Amino acid sequence: MPTPTLTQTLVIALIQAILVVIFIFVIVPLTIYAERKVLGHIQLRLGATRIAGTHTGLTGLVNRSMWKLGKVPVLAYWRGIPMLVGDILKMILKEDVRPTKADRFVFFLAPSLSFVAAVMAFAAVSFVPGTFFTFPKWVPLVGGLPLSGGMADVNVGLLWILGIASVGVYGIVLAGWASNSKYPLLGSLRSGAQIVSYEVPLTLSLLAPVLMSGSLQFSHMATTMATGLPFWGIVPQMLGFLVYFTCGFAETNRLPFDMPEAENELVAGFHTEYSGMKFGFFYLGEYINMAVVSALAAGFFLGGPWLLPFGLQGLVNPYLPAWLGQPCALFFVVKIVLLLFVFIWVRGTIPRYRYDQIMAVAWKYLIPLALVNLLLAAMVRYLAV
Amino acid sequence: MNKFLKTLIPFDIAKGLKITGTHFGKVFFSANRRKVPLHVVSEYPEVPVKVQPRFRGRLMMLRDEAGEIKCVCCMSCEKICPTGVISIIAGKQEGRKTRIPERYDFEMERCIFCEFCVESCAFDAIILNHQFELAVYDREDMSLSMEGDFQNMFKTSPVARFSVADEAQ
Repeated sequence: MPTPTLTQTLVIALIQAILVVIFIFVIVPLTIYAERKVLGHIQLRLGATRIAGTHTGLTGLVNRSMWKLGKVPVLAYWRGIPMLVGDILKMILKEDVRPTKADRFVFFLAPSLSFVAAVMAFAAVSFVPGTFFTFPKWVPLVGGLPLSGGMADVNVGLLWILGIASVGVYGIVLAGWASNSKYPLLGSLRSGAQIVSYEVPLTLSLLAPVLMSGSLQFSHMATTMATGLPFWGIVPQMLGFLVYFTCGFAETNRLPFDMPEAENELVAGFHTEYSGMKFGFFYLGEYINMAVVSALAAGFFLGGPWLLPFGLQGLVNPYLPAWLGQPCALFFVVKIVLLLFVFIWVRGTIPRYRYDQIMAVAWKYLIPLALVNLLLAAMVRYLAV
Repeated sequence: MNKFLKTLIPFDIAKGLKITGTHFGKVFFSANRRKVPLHVVSEYPEVPVKVQPRFRGRLMMLRDEAGEIKCVCCMSCEKICPTGVISIIAGKQEGRKTRIPERYDFEMERCIFCEFCVESCAFDAIILNHQFELAVYDREDMSLSMEGDFQNMFKTSPVARFSVADEAQ
């Protein structure tokens, strides 16, 4: 394998970045769409069915002719799909209103900070350990070179992710302060307290995989937690997974813990004064954060890019097809999507906690539980691995 | 200790997740496949709506099996109507013992759909059918009578394309 020159390295890094951005911008609108559909189904509705596409366009033609024949259209379930484009277009085209007394620079800075922090956390997530694919020979400039599975699979990857993820809270606090309005300020203050408290058990629960794999590198941790143990990481780390996922809800301001934007108490919380694409950045940032939290959970607890659970991974069986034992980015993405579904499922189930209850859950239950879990992980490490 | 365990292990959350998950699965796997869908909110303009049996729609007069008007002009509906939207002029017909309405006028504009008229009727001559799509372009169209084709007391409303009560005929 030839050593890549500087230009080649830069081009490969650029391609990787573009791939990750494409992944993000495919999965985020799909999550928004799935959220409407799943919440609808949970409440015995159909969710979004009649946005564009019902009467216009190619799907509309099919739909109308099937209604005329007296049948429910085949595409009925997918009729809300054009809303993916509609949502983004709406946010871009809407008027961008800024309050007169708002701090202009900080008002602009806050949404970009919260969006950029969410996207940058993806840099250290590796979808496949090692090589993702090798460019074919006929590709100019980078032919024959490998493209690694993560953008920057650095050996302090987890530290990077946690650090960048906690920058996201600045976006919310600054948004509340810069809006020069009371509801956003209250929302951002709540958010500051909530996110700072929940970062402690989150980090403590992530220390257990660090302890068991003896590394901070994302791909190494995923490999060890999936194949190094006799079973998936979720089996010895059930407690850790639950604590981590609960804190993930709080970190991304999802529903049981969505204090910063409690609609019935604060108008819309920290983004009350935002409109247009600035609001869109907050909105997208929340969903990207969900994807990051899901990616970490999938990587550390659900076996990452490997398919087989429960020690079958280590089984050498010549009759099994080869791809079954290989790490594949598709499995990783499927696990992320599954966890995103759990996010929406929980949102449709549990009502919002009270503010003091949220604090009590973090300090009185989750932190001791995370410490106990850490002890458990240390025992597993000492006895088993 | 028991209370502590209950706090620690989220049984209630699991229970709630099970309920919502069952709902989701049922609707998800039957949205396009079943003739009678499991979701309660229907796609209204395209799919006919099923109203409850006791739904109170538009007032409608009935005929018996021989095609005779059931109404005998006892005026109980006119008397009991709280908004006074029914006005009857009684008449006679050869070969019929009871009286027969010459005019039966119904002003739907002011009707409150209380169903007192139907309850007071001793001859089951009127019902409130299941129509709820009653919008018209003119105020004159809101007054129904026994003549004409557009808003006839014996026919269902021409506005309603779906959800027409079949049991009236």
